[in-house]
Amino acid sequence: MIENKSAASKIRCFIIYFVILLLAFVCLVPLWNIVCISFSSSAAVAGNRVGMRPVQFTLGAYEKIIGDSQFWRSFGISVARVIIALALNLLLILLMAYPLSKSRREFRARNIYMYLLIFAMLFNGGMIPTYLVVKELGLLNSIWALILPGAVPVFSVIMVMNFFIGIPKSLEEAAIIDGATPFQVLTRVFIPCAKPSIATVALFSIVGNWNDFYSGLIYMTKIKNYPVMTYIQSLSVNLEELIKAGGSANALANAAEVSNQNLNAAKIVVAVIPLLLIYPLLQKYLITGIVMGSVKE
Amino acid sequence: MKKRNMLKSKRRQSELSYHAMMLPGMIFLLIFSYIPMFGLVMAFQDFVPAKGILGSHWAGWKHFKYMIALPDIRLLVRNTVVIALGKIIIGTAMAILFAILLNEIKNRLLKKSVQTIVYLPHFLSWVVLASVVVNFFNLDGSVNQLLAGLGFEKLNFLGSNRLFQPLLIGTDVWKEFGYNSIVYLAAITAIDPGLHEAAAIDGASWRKRVWHITLPGMMPIILLMAAMNLSSILSAGFDQVYNLYSPMVYETGDILDTYVYRMGLISRQYSFGTAVGLLKSIIGMALMLGSNGLARKFADRKIF
Amino acid sequence: MWNKKLWKSAMALALALTMALSAAACGKDGDKTPDSNPQGQQDNPGALEGAQDNADPFGAYEETVTCTLGRRTQQNPKLPEGDSYEENAYMSWVEDRFNVALTNAFESTDGEDYERQVALAISSEELPDMMTVDRATLEELVENDMLADLTTSYENYATDYIKDIYDSYEGRCLGSATFDGRLMALPTTSPDSAPSQVWIRQDWLDQLNIQLDTDGNSCITREELEMTAKEFLAKDPGGNGNPVGIAFTYDMNAGDNLEMQAISCSFGAFQKKWFQKEDGTVYNGSTTPQMKEALAYMNKLFTEGILDPQFGTRTWDDITALMTNGQTGIIFGVWHIPDWLLSNIKAMDPKASFTSFALEDGNGKVNVFHGDPAGNYVVVRKGYEHPELAVKMINLFHDERVTSKTLEQDAPEVYKYEQLGVDGSVRPLPVEINSNVSLLNDYSAIMKCVNGEADLEEMPTLEAKNMVGHIQRYNEDPNTTDVIDWSRYHSRTKGIQLIQNLTDNGSFAWVSPLYLGTTETMKSSGANLDKLEAETFIKMIIGEEPIDHFDSFVEQWNAQGGAAICEELAEKAQ
Repeated sequence: MIENKSAASKIRCFIIYFVILLLAFVCLVPLWNIVCISFSSSAAVAGNRVGMRPVQFTLGAYEKIIGDSQFWRSFGISVARVIIALALNLLLILLMAYPLSKSRREFRARNIYMYLLIFAMLFNGGMIPTYLVVKELGLLNSIWALILPGAVPVFSVIMVMNFFIGIPKSLEEAAIIDGATPFQVLTRVFIPCAKPSIATVALFSIVGNWNDFYSGLIYMTKIKNYPVMTYIQSLSVNLEELIKAGGSANALANAAEVSNQNLNAAKIVVAVIPLLLIYPLLQKYLITGIVMGSVKE
Repeated sequence: MKKRNMLKSKRRQSELSYHAMMLPGMIFLLIFSYIPMFGLVMAFQDFVPAKGILGSHWAGWKHFKYMIALPDIRLLVRNTVVIALGKIIIGTAMAILFAILLNEIKNRLLKKSVQTIVYLPHFLSWVVLASVVVNFFNLDGSVNQLLAGLGFEKLNFLGSNRLFQPLLIGTDVWKEFGYNSIVYLAAITAIDPGLHEAAAIDGASWRKRVWHITLPGMMPIILLMAAMNLSSILSAGFDQVYNLYSPMVYETGDILDTYVYRMGLISRQYSFGTAVGLLKSIIGMALMLGSNGLARKFADRKIF
Repeated sequence: MWNKKLWKSAMALALALTMALSAAACGKDGDKTPDSNPQGQQDNPGALEGAQDNADPFGAYEETVTCTLGRRTQQNPKLPEGDSYEENAYMSWVEDRFNVALTNAFESTDGEDYERQVALAISSEELPDMMTVDRATLEELVENDMLADLTTSYENYATDYIKDIYDSYEGRCLGSATFDGRLMALPTTSPDSAPSQVWIRQDWLDQLNIQLDTDGNSCITREELEMTAKEFLAKDPGGNGNPVGIAFTYDMNAGDNLEMQAISCSFGAFQKKWFQKEDGTVYNGSTTPQMKEALAYMNKLFTEGILDPQFGTRTWDDITALMTNGQTGIIFGVWHIPDWLLSNIKAMDPKASFTSFALEDGNGKVNVFHGDPAGNYVVVRKGYEHPELAVKMINLFHDERVTSKTLEQDAPEVYKYEQLGVDGSVRPLPVEINSNVSLLNDYSAIMKCVNGEADLEEMPTLEAKNMVGHIQRYNEDPNTTDVIDWSRYHSRTKGIQLIQNLTDNGSFAWVSPLYLGTTETMKSSGANLDKLEAETFIKMIIGEEPIDHFDSFVEQWNAQGGAAICEELAEKAQ
């Protein structure tokens, strides 16, 4: 009987491992393809010849990136942006998620705030009015233009709030009896208990801020102020669009010299590396939730 | 009497702190979300940048009427909803399944590496991924070579109105399931492991435990994600469609956003774009409130 | 209590911001009154400046003049390390020469990104003093009275050389920037680059011993085209194992690269172009019986397998890959396509070489249409004190820079930029101003020099000088591995030479489409008509719809707004 059971669980285990590894493989293929492209000659890339290994191997693309001072400047801007935005986002998320996790009985204005948040998430005035506000505040070309408009990630607030609701009332009550203020309850009880969800929204904040190129395009009017993803975007040459825009023979010839997709691929690879490093770091916190869960009892 | 008063004043005090906690965030929302919302009046104007929001001519419901009168509007809405719904349903199921399976893996290193790998495609833009998808799925691509090798007929995924929507849904699920699973993994870790242990001692099978403990434990997050996704049902993923479609598959692949984009190429359509966006937001809001109501009624849970 | 306070301060903040915003948006109306005075000045800037420099086209200002610019950037400006779009030799040249201080109001990549920044600048009522805009924006700015009148500035300051260039378009170019008799912008010129040529792998023709153009008129017939494609398909000279006859992108936009333009023109069909009949009515080339013939022919090519079986889904990148891989050896494109697309083939296959032909119609003629003579427009903000500075800058860059024989001594930094091939977008005003005949004139000068009939110093432009070098180096070693030499050789001695031959033989049959900008119905129904056309044409070509479906397409097209656009254009054309 017991043997039977363990045989079944072994098969189950095998199937799970197989499925997981298969999925991982399927996700790895395009990324590996892009890595190979970044090490191949541009003509080989244009000819679609690069598959799972580099063709006409070259380090040229990476040499160019290392020599491109603007790339590193933009990289630095992005790093600074992510750090500041992360701090601000987390602060506001936690501050807002806690009161919102209260019932209407405990916090009468709770639903009004909630609807205001949801409304702000679903409706937006569009590019031009937001630009006017940012401009009137004198934020154009400043790193704050990239950070402040997204200071409150409503979705993350709602998510953390949901986790907060799931935290047993008894913990909070015990703290209140000990004389803790609401702010102390938040920092001493709720935050330690909700680490996995906080790590998750932190990841969302980092990824979102790092990947966002659009606000850089709009609020940065000088190339030297571009964050790295905007810079990459502004450099990727699309000959087809250039031709349709009526590019001159000279402009086309110049663009064609850098329309090497290998360089673009190399930039994507370099830009994704920080995100590759961040995730394992945060995973530590994703796992601590389990420990907390058992402490709860 | 005194005690009750004290309780009341204590509650007032905490409410006061709650308001104080909400304040900084609300200021940001006011400045960067609510004030720009005045721009929504553009939907009722013939907005021209040179005239500004205050100086442009009023157009009333013109853009909404025009939208409804578009010869292809039914097709566009149908395509948008079918593609978006497909992505939501299959994508959510896939992400949940992956999170549950991954949680079963005990090897820490493997777990971490797999998780990191599957979340990578999320970071590649569709401009980049589209060429990978085309190379795999065109008539000479690996998929068709495989089909031919197995003795099947070659399929023109990119040019067939029967296959294009499944292609869009499938590739999107593939790109996003890893990233989407993060939030479900976080939800699983919040489930009390004691429940699992107790159930295991009672002899509950793995499948039963997943069904009766893990899934219900994840339910608040699943409902939240479903409501969120539903609210964007009229956005079927512009970047993906735009980089993969062609006139051959307009019939099944042309969505609201691509159509508005092509209109903008002929002349910039600020007002029409705003009108479409406004309509999308209103429908999104209705769906979001609706799902909250449904969740409250049937699952006895509120989403927000 | 708290509640109230919060509410109050929030409201105050909202109010303050709203007011700030509305003040910005209202600014225009407020500005109108004081503007009427500078208007008077602009009417006669010559008189005003007369004391200073007597309308000297290259005169410096006594006091430093500031000027902000909207900049259209390119991905590969080829700037030397350390230089930027804001600080570079071109900018300093203007600053030193005219005693001005230039700053960039915004920099943005050419195309969608740039147009977005322009729209944002316009909506926030803060136009840079000078920038380049597209035609739609020009019309919008003129309509709302936001631009300075450049009529007198141009009259008084433009050099004869510049005026000659504009005059070579017989008014078509400046005319597009003239509103009610006032010149509101300086257009960038775009000389005709027609026709879309057929580029065929010469090394494959040699290998298979195919003789094309036996009558020596530089044209091939459709039969020759089919024969070549069939041979290439049957014998696979690229050795790839998977040859494709002729491939086109799925775009049915009637562009001249990788699209079917040359084929439809050979039937006298000018897809998507508007024409006026003698009775004043307007029609679209896509709806003519000739178009139907062209589609029927394309359908024939498709059924015979000469056209790529994946026609309808091929992207630009797909076709680049097909030719780079040696799967196809027949490519449709303009004269300069070797410079930026065919160069990939040379990089992958050092033996590759091309010859280009025009596709002739039944009478041995090559049907071509004039392109839009104007591209972007240089505009000056209304109220800017020195609108003539725009003209002066154009004099400097499009007269002195190209014609001066002593540039190397006068402006060594600028000369260095020319040698480096720094992109034109680096100049403060990124426009190209070339005469309508500059293409062939420059080319004949280049060839004279290559053949030893002229001295290098006699070259009309620096670019021509550089070109001589490329061609000479290629001639010395036709097996060179230098892709740039190879591509410049091909674009000139094949591409432009073909245009030269056709002009000499009188083979061109020119037509002039209407270029009248966007009409109201185009704005609302244009996307729908484009979709209808693209879907229908592709279906007809791949045989999903019979050719006779064309007639019902025309009916639908007219009903869905096409007829209305024709009427609007007819009115505009009067």
